Amino acid sequence: MIELKKFWWMIKKELISLKRHPSRLVSILVFPIIMILLFGYGMGGEMTDLPIVVVSQSHGDLTDLTLDTIKTTDTYRVVDVIDDQNKAENMVDSGEVKAAIIMPKDYDDTNSSSQKAVTLYLDSSDQMASQILDSATQAIFSKLSNMVAAGSVTAVSENSTAAPSLSHQLSNFKDDISLHINRIYGNIKYIDFLVPAVLGMTVMMSCMMGMGATIAGERETGELARLFMTPTSVSTVIGGKIASKLLIELVRALILIIMAILLFNVSIKGGLLQTFIVLVFGALCFVGFGIMLSARTQTQEDYAQIVLPFSLPMMFVSGVFYPIETMPWIFQKIAYLFPLTYLNDAMRAVMLKGQTLGDVWLDLVILVGYTLLFFIIGVKRFNRDI
Amino acid sequence: MNAIETHNLTKVYNTFTAVNSLNLEIPDKTIFGMLGPNGAGKTTTIKMLTCLIQPTSGEAIVGGYNVRDNPDEVRRLLGMVPQQVSLYKDLTVMENSQLCADYYGINPNERDSRIEDLMELVDIKYARDKRISQLSGGQKQKASLVASLVHKPKILFLDEPTIGLDPTTKRVLWDLIRELNDDGRTIILCSHDMHEVDMLCDNVGIINTGNLVAYDTPQGLKDSLLDSNKEEITETLHQISAESEVKTSTMEDTESLSLRKLSFLLEDNNENIINSLKNNEFVKSIEIARNGRINLRIDYFDDNAVSNVLSTVLSCGGVIKSISTEEPSLEDVFIKSTSEVNENDRA
Repeated sequence: MIELKKFWWMIKKELISLKRHPSRLVSILVFPIIMILLFGYGMGGEMTDLPIVVVSQSHGDLTDLTLDTIKTTDTYRVVDVIDDQNKAENMVDSGEVKAAIIMPKDYDDTNSSSQKAVTLYLDSSDQMASQILDSATQAIFSKLSNMVAAGSVTAVSENSTAAPSLSHQLSNFKDDISLHINRIYGNIKYIDFLVPAVLGMTVMMSCMMGMGATIAGERETGELARLFMTPTSVSTVIGGKIASKLLIELVRALILIIMAILLFNVSIKGGLLQTFIVLVFGALCFVGFGIMLSARTQTQEDYAQIVLPFSLPMMFVSGVFYPIETMPWIFQKIAYLFPLTYLNDAMRAVMLKGQTLGDVWLDLVILVGYTLLFFIIGVKRFNRDI
Repeated sequence: MNAIETHNLTKVYNTFTAVNSLNLEIPDKTIFGMLGPNGAGKTTTIKMLTCLIQPTSGEAIVGGYNVRDNPDEVRRLLGMVPQQVSLYKDLTVMENSQLCADYYGINPNERDSRIEDLMELVDIKYARDKRISQLSGGQKQKASLVASLVHKPKILFLDEPTIGLDPTTKRVLWDLIRELNDDGRTIILCSHDMHEVDMLCDNVGIINTGNLVAYDTPQGLKDSLLDSNKEEITETLHQISAESEVKTSTMEDTESLSLRKLSFLLEDNNENIINSLKNNEFVKSIEIARNGRINLRIDYFDDNAVSNVLSTVLSCGGVIKSISTEEPSLEDVFIKSTSEVNENDRA
């Protein structure tokens, strides 16, 4: 039988302990709020506002109607309307936009008897976004095509503000519209999309958690103090810790990659070596992050409470499961503050798009920048104290 | 020459002064006992002397080097055996020692032989390939000593080195501490075991609320306690002499006087012996315990007091089965030194 007084003491002791460790208390109070916000807005919402570019090379009523329909469809956020097809394709290749809708030169030519071949130039490396863009674009042009064929039109999109006065002019069109989809990285499965980011996320979690055990744990048990009593600089000790952690994490990452290939037949277009190098950059960065956070943490438990509010939001906001572009603007801003975003971006670019390290130089430079920042702060703040 | 000197050494954490203008001199090649109640500032002082934290103000010179200006030189001279064994638990005794040797930059050619010698010295060689997690408390302390001595430190800090150890292992470590000191090392021993400090140390410093409140040889400290009580005791003795019936069960009255305690167990406590003792001029109080043991407080200022009291017992036909005397101890000094400061603080 439970003895109530003793039972109550266990609860009381935990509450007192929490009250006396503000970092743990803050973590408990703030963390669920952050998580539900991130989950609700970052993952639970509909996928809208995907950035696209439209190539319009003709002028006329159908073009106006089509542009208006695209612009007023929630799925898209039209970054630009241009007439240069190559430029649009480059924008997709560089990841600036998720797709380019390319309308042909004869799109508004009423005398043309051939089908009007619209192309959706699609960044298929973002598997989720590309699926949405694919179906939304097909729906719009199928409807437009039917209306053109029927010689009448109403608003194509529910949100369209297209003027009904345009309808009579469409009767001159003799043929319908066809949509060709050019998935530039082929048909990518969700697992292909997920694996690069999961690799990055795993490296992040294990590096950050592991450094806590190494630094805060050894500080707690006094091993670190013994090292610091020797004529050894803080940077040597930290450097050694980083190297050992890096080695372990890279072996882990290598196993992850091999398992992903063997079990899920994940393709690595940019090659194993380049993928591995990107992971090295990521691992270094997160080891640095761990060192910065553990620089003054006295116990492992405190470290765990401090690291969670950083690591889990980073996981949800940095585009591991869901494209960043679809999140509310504030989360997008936050996402670009997190190094995991850049690691994910580089990993997907190398693994799914087959890009080289040179192509993802900006991501790597940002990761190196963060790494230096974390190390400098970590070493400066590092407490030799027992 | 002093192994360690501090001049107005101070450490302040926010508004709390952990060490307050500490002036301390520890002569070279001596064993120095650092005493003080918990939270007195001992650990903070050690941290400053071992370059783990920077002093807020003042100076600390260790082995001729300023801890602020030449921390690495200081570290090379120091060895530390912390209270909590801080060796890597998954590494063996040998591996931990090798790690420490390499951190001190010991020549690889002599490293292993030096470690083997040290293991022999502290008698842990039989466990050289055992992991720290597999060792007993005493074995861990010995392993910790090996790791701390591997670079031949001139100054060795021992923080409660025998805490939790069985009496036999304690004695082995005490012998070892003496041996290390004979070998020319300065040893700073932090301990709450007054007997250990009394027995091992050449000098003792008592730190309380960040100040050095007493510093002398163990005997000097005990004598100083007696001297400081002398006036008070003499006065009380006069009062006792002026009263007629004070010689029975007046232990409480004299408890604080730190008179020499003499106790013995007789074959038979006959009335004649008790009365003779009551009338003995050196006996200031008498108490008979339940088991028949006679506890006396006698005037310690007179060198003849003990023999005189014993003569009284023997002349009355008493057969002494056991006898013991008790002098003022270092513990008395400790309690007095620290309680005075605490009372001042409270005031």
